[in-house]
Amino acid sequence: MNPYAAGVFLGLVLTASYAVLGAGLGASGGLARLAAALSHLAAPARTQASAYFGAWAPHYLSYYLVFMLLGILVGGFLSAAAAGRLQPGLERGPGCPAAKRAFLALTGGVLVGFASRLAQGCTSGQALSGGALLLTGSLIFMAALFAAGFAVARFFRGQWYA
Amino acid sequence: MLSTFYGTDRLDSPAAWAAAFVLGVLFGVALERAGFGSSRRLAAVFYLDDLAVIKVMFTALVTALLGLVILTGSGLLPPDQLFYLPTVYGAHLLGGLILGAGFAMGGWCPGTAAVGLASGKLDALLFLAGGIAGCILYNELFPWLQPLAVWGEAGVDFLYPHLGLSQGAAAFYVSLLAVLAFWGCEILEHRRGVGGRLLSGRFLPTFSLALLAAAAVAYLVAPVDMAPVSAAGPSREAELLARIEAGADHLEPEDLADRLLAREPGLVVADVRSEAEYQAFHIRGALHAPLPQVHEILAPYKNKGRIVLYSGGMTHAAQARDSLARQGFRNVYLLSEGLAGFRERVLKPVSLRDEPLDPEKAARINAWRAFFLAAPAAVGPEPAEMPQPLPGLIETEWLAQHLGKPWLKIIDLRSQPEYNTGHIPGAVYLNYDSLRGVVGGVSSMLLPAELLAGHFSLLGITPRDLVVLVPGERMHDATLVGMAAERLGHRRYAIVQGGMAKWLKEKRPLTTALPAAAPPSYYPVNPGADDFTVEAHTVLEASRTGRPLILDVRPVEYFRGEKSEEARAGHIPGAKNRPFSEDVAAGPEGIFFKPAAELAAAYARLLLDKEAPVIVHCRTGHQASQTFFVLKRLLGYRNVKYYDAGWSEWASRPELPVAAAGK
Repeated sequence: MNPYAAGVFLGLVLTASYAVLGAGLGASGGLARLAAALSHLAAPARTQASAYFGAWAPHYLSYYLVFMLLGILVGGFLSAAAAGRLQPGLERGPGCPAAKRAFLALTGGVLVGFASRLAQGCTSGQALSGGALLLTGSLIFMAALFAAGFAVARFFRGQWYA
Repeated sequence: MLSTFYGTDRLDSPAAWAAAFVLGVLFGVALERAGFGSSRRLAAVFYLDDLAVIKVMFTALVTALLGLVILTGSGLLPPDQLFYLPTVYGAHLLGGLILGAGFAMGGWCPGTAAVGLASGKLDALLFLAGGIAGCILYNELFPWLQPLAVWGEAGVDFLYPHLGLSQGAAAFYVSLLAVLAFWGCEILEHRRGVGGRLLSGRFLPTFSLALLAAAAVAYLVAPVDMAPVSAAGPSREAELLARIEAGADHLEPEDLADRLLAREPGLVVADVRSEAEYQAFHIRGALHAPLPQVHEILAPYKNKGRIVLYSGGMTHAAQARDSLARQGFRNVYLLSEGLAGFRERVLKPVSLRDEPLDPEKAARINAWRAFFLAAPAAVGPEPAEMPQPLPGLIETEWLAQHLGKPWLKIIDLRSQPEYNTGHIPGAVYLNYDSLRGVVGGVSSMLLPAELLAGHFSLLGITPRDLVVLVPGERMHDATLVGMAAERLGHRRYAIVQGGMAKWLKEKRPLTTALPAAAPPSYYPVNPGADDFTVEAHTVLEASRTGRPLILDVRPVEYFRGEKSEEARAGHIPGAKNRPFSEDVAAGPEGIFFKPAAELAAAYARLLLDKEAPVIVHCRTGHQASQTFFVLKRLLGYRNVKYYDAGWSEWASRPELPVAAAGK
């Protein structure tokens, strides 16, 4: 799909989210709730008493962004299935060992999960949704995100390029 | 006019969840159609091989920006229906840097990884598992990270007022920048030979013009006012400003006191100061809602009843109020002049007020004081941890086991040089004489409760604390400080049997380090606590009638008049002598109260039963404080009075009778 057309579509979905929910789109918020629920399964008392997750106890998953995350999974699946893009596997460049790619994906995830809590959102919830309102913090976040991405990308080049 | 789930406070309803799910499906489709179900394609942006991420993201941003400006500017969507993420400069900068690094490393961000997972990508699954671990890590580290999470808090903050732009103008310039960036992306891709097909053909010029036309519409529709407040949500900010102007957002201290006294339903008082300050003193019934968590803690009371915020002064409370107002709280009030004003205007005792008070106002003040200064019952350490009974005696062993407890306030009564050579860790030095002064022309009187409360406040003592008194060579130094506690109604005090000498003998921990200065507390004055101090006329009456028993605790030679440092020698007619020194045993092992059974037998000869009234005195009230402690606190006599002024006053007043020698 033409990226600009996809962008307009995404922008309209974001506008609709603001008009209906009063809040923007988000993915990491749902992930954090899931993390809290899993933490609760492992250590209920500890999680309930914790300063960050504890505020969401006991109904960690009763949150609109959890349902949005579920929607993203469903929408992504339907769209990929319709386009014939359901390709199970570990995506990596030629010559990149699977273990290396798996390690980088996992470690990158840890950094992103952590940072999304610190910044109260990720690419969608903070950069895009807040940026569309021209909120200072969201725009700083977006600038920092791309700056750091470009700065460190060279170290991870090997997972994509031979 | 549209109303949103957030604006109507229904974001936690199943209907909102259903809407969020549908929006999520559309979001997922949009990301998948953009090609973001592939980590390789996402990561390519960082190697300038495929700039789709930038194109899609900025197109979406500009589309939503223009859409929102048009919706709100036309009045269709009131700005107060929207949730604005507050800006936290430090956290957003640092979070952005870490997230960007993680994005380049993992090849995903959370939303795209969800789409990747739905497309069957194993690396997306790993990335999301890592993301969950990252969230849990954040939660575990949160107690240490919290200062970072609020570092550079600026509340809801829009970029354009900083640039001197109106919202409409900013939207237009951002759109123009985006169009230029799109052309830049296409040219770059074309040069690198990785794309840029859209450079030829009519699409890009048409799209650019359409975007700029929409931006022009947005510019025309947006409010002209360039003040940041109008953009932050005109109705709320205007409402807030109007309320501030009208003073309708303030509550006077007297007004708050009356409402609390009347237990007004729905009234919530919140203290936004630090934990230590709150623990030291807070308005009775106030919640603790420190700034970083003020939204969460007060969320249950949003737009229900009345929330009154206070801090030490006004600044922090006003900050919290503004932040809450932006989150849609419309029931937040400030306490005028903060806690300082509350102390001055509500808690200050009638006796210390300069202005003339009619009896009605005086009664009102006394009612407030009785209500707000009532000793908190259910606070402080677990009763099990407190030694029993209190006031009472404790052993060095007990003290050694409880060193470092935050509720323990140890007072070392030796001389300053002795204290400096080594003291119990955490102990402060106090000269008992600083609690005495000239009162009513008589020297060495225990200070009035207001001044004693001031001393206790400076020592950081709160009514919940256990004050541990460690005597040096003289037990009555400790009991004199005990009298100060008694005058304040502070029952949580204990004297260490054996004193400092025993502690040293047992080679228990010592330090020369000064304890960290405790933050001054606010020790409340309990006006009714001192019901034991009596004056000369009461003693004269007792002297005439023989009841209560007057117990002179000075050394026997002073009682007999053989020795004297006063104008007149002798004792009060009818008084009995029981030298204070008889109640303690001093030696190289330390200073000890004699065993309770021995003391009980000795006093049983003087006093018939535990109800028998008795007045104790000495020359200045120093030695008598020890007998007072023995009788009242160790032996359980219930009617013990304290003639503080003692012989130094009695001897100087020729009209008072004196019995001399022999008797």
